[in-house]
Amino acid sequence: MSQSTLSIKVEFGGGLELLFSNQRSHKVSLPSHVPTAPPDANTTSEQGKKESGRPADITYLMYWMRDNLLKEREELFIENGTVRPGILVLVNDTDWELEGEGEYVLQDGDEIVFISTLHGG
Amino acid sequence: MASCENPENGADALMPRTRKYDKSKICVKCKERHGNIVARHTVYCRECFISFFTFKFRRALEPYVNAKPDGPRRKALKPTGNLLIGYSGGIGSAVLMDLVYRHYVHPDSTIVTSEGGKAHPRNERVWEKITVCYVEVSDALPGTKDRTTEIQNVIDQMDGVEFLPIRLQDAFDFAWWNKRGFCPSDPTLGADFSDELLQVQATLTPDIPPLTALRLYLASLPTASALPTAVQTLVRLLLQYTAISMNCSHLLLGTSLTSLAISLIAGISQGGGFHVREEAQEEWLPNCLDTGRAVRIIRPLREIGMKECGVWAWWMHLPIVGREKWHWPGTKPGIGRLTKDFIIGLEKDYPSTVSTIVRTCGKLAPKGDTAGKCVICERPVQTGVQEWKARIAIRASQDEQATWANSSTMTPSLAPYLCYVCLTTFTSKGARAPPPLYSDDSDLGHGLSPLPTWTTSSRLFRAHGTLTVTEDITPDEDEFTVARKLPRSEMRDVVKEFLLDE
Ligand SMILES: [Zn+2]
Ligand SMILES: [Zn+2]
Repeated sequence: MSQSTLSIKVEFGGGLELLFSNQRSHKVSLPSHVPTAPPDANTTSEQGKKESGRPADITYLMYWMRDNLLKEREELFIENGTVRPGILVLVNDTDWELEGEGEYVLQDGDEIVFISTLHGG
Repeated sequence: MASCENPENGADALMPRTRKYDKSKICVKCKERHGNIVARHTVYCRECFISFFTFKFRRALEPYVNAKPDGPRRKALKPTGNLLIGYSGGIGSAVLMDLVYRHYVHPDSTIVTSEGGKAHPRNERVWEKITVCYVEVSDALPGTKDRTTEIQNVIDQMDGVEFLPIRLQDAFDFAWWNKRGFCPSDPTLGADFSDELLQVQATLTPDIPPLTALRLYLASLPTASALPTAVQTLVRLLLQYTAISMNCSHLLLGTSLTSLAISLIAGISQGGGFHVREEAQEEWLPNCLDTGRAVRIIRPLREIGMKECGVWAWWMHLPIVGREKWHWPGTKPGIGRLTKDFIIGLEKDYPSTVSTIVRTCGKLAPKGDTAGKCVICERPVQTGVQEWKARIAIRASQDEQATWANSSTMTPSLAPYLCYVCLTTFTSKGARAPPPLYSDDSDLGHGLSPLPTWTTSSRLFRAHGTLTVTEDITPDEDEFTVARKLPRSEMRDVVKEFLLDE
């Protein structure tokens, strides 16, 4: 039952893909539990201090994306340990606010969508 | 999100996490399905969200389609002219376009249902002709990219609507203007922005290319914050005059609730308190046209938050081209930018606050009478603005006030014909001047800035021979509050009273 890696589909909408090599859909594999050694030393400063070994949640996914996918300008994606205001997140087509936001524990095969609304109207 | 404690140990009772939804995760409408989206604390499933969303759109638009606003009982929709849609490339305009298309171009039976239980899907076309207009600003704003082709590609996917790309410099294109049959305009008239009275002289060469004229105009602005305000006004007036030239009775803009709150707060903090009603909806009669035809400017997304628009765009697979920021290079973010960051941050933590701001602004009845319309933005001018401005202007000496009062008999001045916002945009200097807007800052205008076509052709401006200054007008406290510029530090105080206990 417990897997060592999770396969997650990450998608971007509203122009957020521009921060991620302009690729709208990413298939990512990440550890099912937060590794003891953070993938990046920077991680320790904010989220890394949270217990390592916990099941991978969306917050972990965000930092994993920052370290592995984000090409530029982290501040346009992450702010104060969560997504920047104006970015909404869907977990399997459901608002993450109904799923515990960053604390939602990822399941194998989950589809996580990040949509920017900051392009104005 | 601060607490990661295990709920079993009761930590939640001590430090409750802010929950973004009211009671349960079940949809409040059908009370059956699991919710998909939280919109300002209310949980909707996908199906119910779609009907809620389209209902809000129709409620903000359809009562205003017929010339006489409808009561609760709706008659057939019979507009008196065509439809123009302002398309910016942002999410709001993409969602607006999609909704118009699904409702009035090719009715989508999966979302357009008639209320009242009777199933008669409307299939008549409401507007005979629908045009999508995009105003490209990239020639005027350094470092921005031209998105016309991208937007053309998006609109081309929709049959039954026409695409009309125009450019910001068309605001200074006297050939463009005259082709459209408006009253003649004088390209030689320019105003001196370095002078508080904005003295007007007819000494510009008549053949300045429109782009050069536009650049001179923008480069003359005294602050970085004035740039987006000036560009916004040019875009809006270009859309309005395009609408009237195409016999449009309606101009729709994709301003969402969030964007409306931003423009209201940014507007008020830049002295636009007198225009709060026009920010939401406006019946516009051009300064320069005798026919009496009006364009009704409607923002059908004004009750829908940016988040809901984002979800709609995602679920409907709408391509989002994006839009450029109107920023003066080499300067700190202006009032508009700061307000946007502030409101979007506020909306995340207090989702209801943004609609409260808009509702409260809707109840504001600006004090003071209207003294005609501004020759730049064509919105109402508050009586007494010039007198008040003259009194408080630090550099306004007695002599200058006298000149002002007699300006019509001497060098004409633009200032008396401007609303407070435009007056401030042109004359209110910051602590230090921004760097040159363009590197090739050649001065073709001999210190004069060209003026938009509608300004120099305005009957008001041309015909007004006299300017009366009533000496005994003393603005009261309220007027002062409405018109005063707010520093960033006070912005939070402005909205403080709107902050609700969530
Ligand atoms: Zn439902
Ligand atoms: Zn004005």
